[in-house]
Amino acid sequence: MSADEVRRIVRTVWLVTAAGTAVWLALIVLAPWLAGRGSTGAARLIYAVFSPVCHQIPGRCFLFHGQPLAVCGRCLGIYAGFAAGLVLYRFVRGFGRPALPSARAFLLVTLPMAVDGLAGVLGLWKSPIGVRAATGFVWGTILPFFFIGGVSDALAKGKERRAARNLSNGPGKT
Amino acid sequence: MDQRKPEYFKPALMAGAVAGILSGLPLIGNANCLCCLWIVGGAAVAVRLLAKETPSALTSGDGAIVGALTGIVAAVVNSLVSIPLRSFNLGLAQKFMDWASEMGGEMPAGLDGLFQSAAGPISPGWFLLGLFLTSALYAVFGALGGIVGISLFVKKPGRAVPPPPPPAIPPATPPGPSDAA
Repeated sequence: MSADEVRRIVRTVWLVTAAGTAVWLALIVLAPWLAGRGSTGAARLIYAVFSPVCHQIPGRCFLFHGQPLAVCGRCLGIYAGFAAGLVLYRFVRGFGRPALPSARAFLLVTLPMAVDGLAGVLGLWKSPIGVRAATGFVWGTILPFFFIGGVSDALAKGKERRAARNLSNGPGKT
Repeated sequence: MDQRKPEYFKPALMAGAVAGILSGLPLIGNANCLCCLWIVGGAAVAVRLLAKETPSALTSGDGAIVGALTGIVAAVVNSLVSIPLRSFNLGLAQKFMDWASEMGGEMPAGLDGLFQSAAGPISPGWFLLGLFLTSALYAVFGALGGIVGISLFVKKPGRAVPPPPPPAIPPATPPGPSDAA
């Protein structure tokens, strides 16, 4: 596959991911805004959408318009970090042939969140929402470097396989 | 280079079924509150299983595909497991929210209504909508887990070692007359 084709695939994956992340973050803020305005039906639906991926304990959520966000502080940090990582990706990696970060780098950025989370579960300390959000943010920034690389590679592989199949079922073979 | 497609479905089915059951269980399923831990972990395990069964080197794309499939299988299994446990899970969630409210947390407006509406019988339409949304969410988180799994569990292919050169010494026995014919 040519470098131009790879570049096109990576750019498309990046754009779709950026759009999806923007919608995801907007929904997180939209839920309390709607709840604060009295549109409880729509707010309930958004809170329900996020319930499989977050505990939504009100005491661990940032407030907006007097209502808790649709996810907790740590999850908000992860998604905000993911958005920041997407912006970084554009400048660090560009849209060339993607490569995954090393396992060591992944473990390194996971460490603060893992230590904070584990200590919380074991009751060693209770970190404020800001610290939870910060450790989540650090972890979230590396995730787009995996996601964009992997999804682009999957799409490129699919395209290569389709091209190979078309070649073997060429015009001469009916 | 081996261009054969790896067998994604078997490891996805195995890891997805386990992740789905764990996600549907009361209390244990709450681990998904940390960035879909069971789904991301299940996808990483699926990559490990796939790597064991695939002789060729896996790429991040393989991780994304097997991870997304694992997420979809987990969503289906989770939905099925949750049906008989629904009333128990709702009761547990209600108790948990009451506790959180007593601890001084501000509850989202209309949350009581959500519990009341969820307590009734679920319609097939809502079940399918929930299954679709959960599948989409779990597929994305699963893909992410699968790609991270490739980075963690699959060794990068090293440089191919060139084959040893053929022996420089000619064979000891010269070809017989039958070979020359």
